[in-house]
Amino acid sequence: MRRFYLFGFLLLMAFDTLAQISFKYAGTQALPVQASVAWLLRVFSQPWVYGAVVGYIGAFFTWMTLLKHAPIGPAFAASHLEVVSVMLLSIWLFDEHLTLPRVLGAIVIVAGIVCLGAAESHAQAVGDDPDAAPA
Amino acid sequence: MPTDGSISALVAGLWLFNVILDTGGQLAFKAAAGDRAAGDGLARWKYMAARPWLWLGVGGYVIEFLVWIAFLSLIPLSEGVLLGSINIVAVMVAGRFLFGEKLTRLRVIGILLVTLGVAIVGLAA
Repeated sequence: MRRFYLFGFLLLMAFDTLAQISFKYAGTQALPVQASVAWLLRVFSQPWVYGAVVGYIGAFFTWMTLLKHAPIGPAFAASHLEVVSVMLLSIWLFDEHLTLPRVLGAIVIVAGIVCLGAAESHAQAVGDDPDAAPA
Repeated sequence: MPTDGSISALVAGLWLFNVILDTGGQLAFKAAAGDRAAGDGLARWKYMAARPWLWLGVGGYVIEFLVWIAFLSLIPLSEGVLLGSINIVAVMVAGRFLFGEKLTRLRVIGILLVTLGVAIVGLAA
């Protein structure tokens, strides 16, 4: 189960990140924003919008697979690892700056996810999966 | 920031709607995915697709997408991220009451830290 969660949440992060980065590229390349057919054609005529679609579909199937076992409260919190990955990639891809508060926020998010991972490991180590169904 | 009273009420209404849709959508996904009668593999997906929970979740997200765009047209993205962090706590509380998920101390600390971190990122942008 530990490998299932580790692999699942990393895959989810990858798909979520692909979707967000693609959205940013797709929006930028289709400027200016207009409520028009021309804008829609611009959006769908460049490849990045399909990266966003692949990211969304991949994230959906990954998420539904994770939720077969994962409790929704901790899992939904852990899915916010995406915030950190998008922030780090944006420095490299979009020349965004890393400010001290952003770094602090990212560290606090990662610390929270480490706690959630420890909570699951602990539950399994003592043979007490808090959410296991009565057989 | 909007200073007009009616715009503020609209922002508050859209925010509340977003919390309800986001939390409700996640709970619907969990209801679909956590059904132990669904089996495994392709049969599980067919089972889920034949029942309303999965589609309630998908439908909720489509509407939420539109609500979010409307919301962000009224307030800056950073404030949207800050307000959106509340959804994490809402999902935790709802999971406790609807699915009986145990809120162990380590789980609560982890969830609150992630919420705080997302809020800090929102404040920082």
